[in-house]
Amino acid sequence: MVHTHRPESDIALRVKAIESLLVEKGIVDPATLDTIIDAYEHRIGPHNGARIVAKAWVDPDYKQRLLTDGTSAIAELNLTGFSSEHMIVVENTPQVHNLIVCTLCSCYPWAILGLPPTWYKSFAYRSRAVIEPRKVLQEFGLDIPDDVEIRVWDSNADLRYLVLPERPAGTEGLSEAALAGLVTRNAMIGTAQVQPPEPPSTLAA
Amino acid sequence: MAIETSNECMSVAQAQALLQQGVDCRGVGDHPPRFQTGDKVRAKVIHPITYTRLPRYVRGKIGTVTKVHGVYVFPDTVGQRLETKPQYVYSVRFAAQELWGPEAAAQDGLYLDLFDDHLDAT
Repeated sequence: MVHTHRPESDIALRVKAIESLLVEKGIVDPATLDTIIDAYEHRIGPHNGARIVAKAWVDPDYKQRLLTDGTSAIAELNLTGFSSEHMIVVENTPQVHNLIVCTLCSCYPWAILGLPPTWYKSFAYRSRAVIEPRKVLQEFGLDIPDDVEIRVWDSNADLRYLVLPERPAGTEGLSEAALAGLVTRNAMIGTAQVQPPEPPSTLAA
Repeated sequence: MAIETSNECMSVAQAQALLQQGVDCRGVGDHPPRFQTGDKVRAKVIHPITYTRLPRYVRGKIGTVTKVHGVYVFPDTVGQRLETKPQYVYSVRFAAQELWGPEAAAQDGLYLDLFDDHLDAT
């Protein structure tokens, strides 16, 4: 096998150079950096948001609390944290589809969804999501019917948003944990819908 | 420079606390909100050369207050380390057609959280 050396990208090299300078000057403690990276690699991510959604699907009282005061309801599950201090949860229904964007930069509920995907931070998504949300959603594979209202939430201030997606049909018998397994990151941003579980594959006759 | 910031190295314990608790952006207001749910408001036409949370695409546009979020510190001045200037934040709904013209879908809307300093009564 031929060994191919893959050079590091410019941005990775730049980050390394800046990091070693900051450490050298005593501005950044590498142990602190490791703590933060470890948290986002292992503890914080969209599975947190999926737990919130699944609980709202099975517990109508919780759902009510979540939609009325997202911050407190999320705190009940001990899932609040940095960049999710003030939370608003918006519900998708057959009449309303919600989409989250931050046109200013990339404001995003980090404690609940982890770090934002690259496309969320792109200029194209940030400008087009507000101007032509229907077209953007089509490109994500979502055709929103004309009689459905699209609400775009530009989370420009200090409140962060989470979409409560619709629970797919045919999931009545599923446990809360199994439901959480169906919920994707994009569904909680509003660029996807939650799909029902794949039916068990049958052997061809 | 009214807001002092520290250049001290963040410790592991401080990072853990920050991840867990975050940063509370709320402030204290000593007066009732200027607008209520249902009020029509106009986003100001201003062009600050410094930091602002007022997006250009809503300037001059008319929207409706859908919620009064409470009092938060003002990033436009905090970002310059000037003052916290706590003030009400409102969720304002702009019709897609108000922002983008008649080709936008009539039923669609854009929701933006705007600070008191960004808004005028209509």
